[in-house]
Amino acid sequence: MSLLKKLLLIEIWKGLLLTLKKLLLDPFVTIQYPEKDKVIPAPGFRGRHALVRDPQTGDTLCIACMRCVRVCPSQCIKVEYEIDSETKKRKVIKYEIEALRCVYCGYCEEVCPVNAIVLTEFFEYVGFAREDLYFDKERLLSNWDEFSSQVKRPYLNPFWKPRGIPEKFLPIKKRNFAGV
Amino acid sequence: MSDFITQIPYPLLIFLVAFILLNLTLLNVAYLTYAERKLIARMQQRLGPNRVGPRGLLQPIADVVKLLQKEDIIPYGVDRSIFKIAPLISLVCAGSGIALIPLWERFVLSNLNVGLLFILALSSLSAYGVILSGWASNSRYALLGGLRASAQVISYEIAMSLALLSVVLMAGSFNLQDIVKAQVSSPFKIYLIPQLVAFFVFMVSALAETNRVPFDLPEAETELVAGYFVEYSGIRFALFYLAEYFGMVVMSALAVTCFLGGYKGPFTIPGVPFFWFLLKLYLLLFFYIWVRATLPRYRYDQLMGLGWKVLIPLALINLFFTAFLKLYLN
Repeated sequence: MSLLKKLLLIEIWKGLLLTLKKLLLDPFVTIQYPEKDKVIPAPGFRGRHALVRDPQTGDTLCIACMRCVRVCPSQCIKVEYEIDSETKKRKVIKYEIEALRCVYCGYCEEVCPVNAIVLTEFFEYVGFAREDLYFDKERLLSNWDEFSSQVKRPYLNPFWKPRGIPEKFLPIKKRNFAGV
Repeated sequence: MSDFITQIPYPLLIFLVAFILLNLTLLNVAYLTYAERKLIARMQQRLGPNRVGPRGLLQPIADVVKLLQKEDIIPYGVDRSIFKIAPLISLVCAGSGIALIPLWERFVLSNLNVGLLFILALSSLSAYGVILSGWASNSRYALLGGLRASAQVISYEIAMSLALLSVVLMAGSFNLQDIVKAQVSSPFKIYLIPQLVAFFVFMVSALAETNRVPFDLPEAETELVAGYFVEYSGIRFALFYLAEYFGMVVMSALAVTCFLGGYKGPFTIPGVPFFWFLLKLYLLLFFYIWVRATLPRYRYDQLMGLGWKVLIPLALINLFFTAFLKLYLN
């Protein structure tokens, strides 16, 4: 039997049949990305940076705790703040991210106690100069505007509530956060 | 029509026929590369070339233009004259076989009485192009590729010739036109049915002769980069490439002529003289591409073992059997 199989080249015919089936029946797996197919990134895809705009004040939610600056492995976040003499609260005057140095680890959004910084799921951005990808505070806020107008609200980035950490260990603002 | 043809002076007629044949073959070869890329892509669920022209149909032309523009690099230390002439030897030997194939009852460029032998001789000569390029390149990969190619071509040629000899025995002629006629008047109409073993041996040997997958050891990418034409670039590389596809076309055309009844079909189609021939040719060429998309490469010792221990004995037995039957039946 096995000799007959060998003589009639059964295995080879099986292989040929497989490729013929693929030729005639199977659809393409190629994604024709920019022209025909649109790629929708999974929720929590770490794309372009943005600072969440506070709907009440119209400014950033950032409280200048500097945790993101400390946690950032590539040290691409620069924050400057001043202390308000009356309320004794910190106020951000400069928040800059050098996107070209960023490694998109998402630590900044995990560590942020007020969910101010986010890596949005928007990924189709390019620049022709280094300055184009150097985001200052205004640009980060406008990135958020651009992103939030296209996304379903309330928006909750999965990295705002890191998996595996019990709710009670999270900062107060993160605990019952349902999205912006 | 026939009056008009007879009024054309003979040299001009030959020139005209050669011109038509050359263009037809070149067009076929060019679009064979396209078809190969497209079909293999489909078999691997990819799209294949689709940028140049609608559905990538102008891709072969773009390829030719690109290769013509490339610099023709002649590396330091090569044997210049041989290096330059080797691709031409390869191409001429692979391509001129098509002149002997009867594409139609009244369309054959040179109706030689030893047509089959001539094609076999040419296909052996094409080994020279390969081995000379391998030697002249002054490169290890190229030399190894050339050595492999010559060993492979020599061993598979024997099996191929023996397979074709049984066809010659049945037809009683080396003339390809006569073989087609004898085939059509034979009881099965085509030699494929009585000579199935010979056809199998021929197809496998043809794959090996033209250095195609699964017998593409001379140009095995994973081992030898590109084999014997590793040092070539630009138009000389294109000539080697062309030679390979010309070889495929010639071998398929030979198989059509010797086993599948040549230009004859079950019924004639008015106005399309080459219809049946081209249909059969494309079927066989599809087979080449199909095999390439399916089978992995043979190991070198397996290749030699298959050639000498399987195909040659098979072809010999078949030849003796055919000869015996022919004697007995007459």
